[in-house]
Amino acid sequence: MSPSDLLQLSISEISPRIKNREISPVELTEAALSAAGKLQPQLNSFITILDQQAMAQARIAESKIMNGEYLGPLHGIPIGIKDNIETQGIRTTVGSKVLGDHIPSDDAHVVALCKNAGAVILGKENLEEFAAGVTSNNLHYGAVHNPWNLDHIPGGSSGGGGANVAARITFASLGTDLGGSVRLPGTFCGVVGLKQTFGRVSQRGLMVTSYNGDHIGPMTRSVSDSALMLQILAGHDPLDPSTVPVPVPNYSENLNQGLRGLKIGIPTNYYFDLINPEVESAVRNSVTALEELGAEIIEVSLPSMKYAAAMRITGMADGIVAHEPYIKNQRDDYGPSVLYRALAGQFVLGRDYSKSMKVQRIIKEEHALVFQNIDLLATPTAPIPAPRIDEDKFALDGDEYPVRGPGSGMISRNTSPTNSTGLPAISIPCGLTPDGLPIGLQLIGRPFEEQLIFQAAKAYETVSPSLNSAPPVTSN
Amino acid sequence: MSISKETLKAMIKEYDGLDISDSELELVLPEIENYLIAANSMADLDLSEVFSGRLYRPQEGDINEPI
Repeated sequence: MSPSDLLQLSISEISPRIKNREISPVELTEAALSAAGKLQPQLNSFITILDQQAMAQARIAESKIMNGEYLGPLHGIPIGIKDNIETQGIRTTVGSKVLGDHIPSDDAHVVALCKNAGAVILGKENLEEFAAGVTSNNLHYGAVHNPWNLDHIPGGSSGGGGANVAARITFASLGTDLGGSVRLPGTFCGVVGLKQTFGRVSQRGLMVTSYNGDHIGPMTRSVSDSALMLQILAGHDPLDPSTVPVPVPNYSENLNQGLRGLKIGIPTNYYFDLINPEVESAVRNSVTALEELGAEIIEVSLPSMKYAAAMRITGMADGIVAHEPYIKNQRDDYGPSVLYRALAGQFVLGRDYSKSMKVQRIIKEEHALVFQNIDLLATPTAPIPAPRIDEDKFALDGDEYPVRGPGSGMISRNTSPTNSTGLPAISIPCGLTPDGLPIGLQLIGRPFEEQLIFQAAKAYETVSPSLNSAPPVTSN
Repeated sequence: MSISKETLKAMIKEYDGLDISDSELELVLPEIENYLIAANSMADLDLSEVFSGRLYRPQEGDINEPI
């Protein structure tokens, strides 16, 4: 098998071969670094490629295996880290000029977990400035390009990670999801994006964010790999009060149990109200496939979702609190999209913030009621396929909406509600538009039931029209 | 529902906010308008007895308990 062939495998396919010493972590990392360097001019998916550090980690990983110290399925696997997650001694810019020279003194908790599991950190991945948007068109570090069509955005804000996983450069990437920033690159790049339950994974070391709804989550090429990644990331962090001491199950245990006996709810309102016809067709087809696989499909109503936009008010206010010191000291270093969106947050009234938190409660309660009769909700991940990089607006149902900056938010309308409710959600590829752009199916579950989400997603994955598909721009 | 630029500028001055020039206010307004629409959408709700969304209950969604 050639080095580039190795990069086409998934973690679950390649890790047993690493364990058995059939594949060398050094050889694998050399192949991944070669792919990263070769594709960087086209994708611009990295802010920093860690050639020397990655090779050093790979040699240590190899040495441990040769000494009989196998650390598990991530041992010797090259992964990417979004550049708003702290990495000790390695520049972490948050995609900004403001923090362009920031070198953290510690690793984020999740980075330490991945290193302890033997992962090789290939690089720090490009993102929207301050992770505040869905395009990954970064004013300071350049636009990330979608490997399915280089003229289109990869989604964001974790666009570099989505592009790298899709293009077979990294086997997994850690992104962050405050409104859909893992799941949107998941859908636009045709990979699996997971936002687990709020409190399941530590946020310690995630920079310039709102701790009310942000989640560090993995992007992978398969559902099995997503389960493997969450196994490493999940757990209580005593130094992060947002995490909760709920036992961590074996996420791979029930992966092949299928859909028979599961009840999947299809919302009759909100999630399908504003949607591109090609996206709707692919998602409806995937619902039919879920039914053919044995799931019972039940229509459900979520009337309180008419207040969903109000849940964003807390994020506006939290955002200005996160940015205030940087704006005061380095305002001129901000790009306009982030600056003018953030500045609006200072006008949020305390009354509306409190109301927003109470609306969040109503919507959580309503979901909990609905989840007494179903196991999962199925929705489109995004209402549209990936827009072009040079588009400022997109049309939907006769209206125009901004892609980024002040007034934007339509692209994340189906993902951002679970950032507020904290419910776990996954995006799985479910086909392509006639123009060859990926579409994603979102499955939402009950709190801490990621195991069930993986089970259903894995069953669907085996019949998805996206199975075994790869973008035109890859390492191969 | 809308809010005048004069009111916004007065809020910045009185509440020691971050300065925004007249031309910048034009760029901030779409986000403020989204906020006002979202805030207005809650106008018909009596939220006086509702707990905050950040408080957890062991049995969320219990149909015998008022929300």
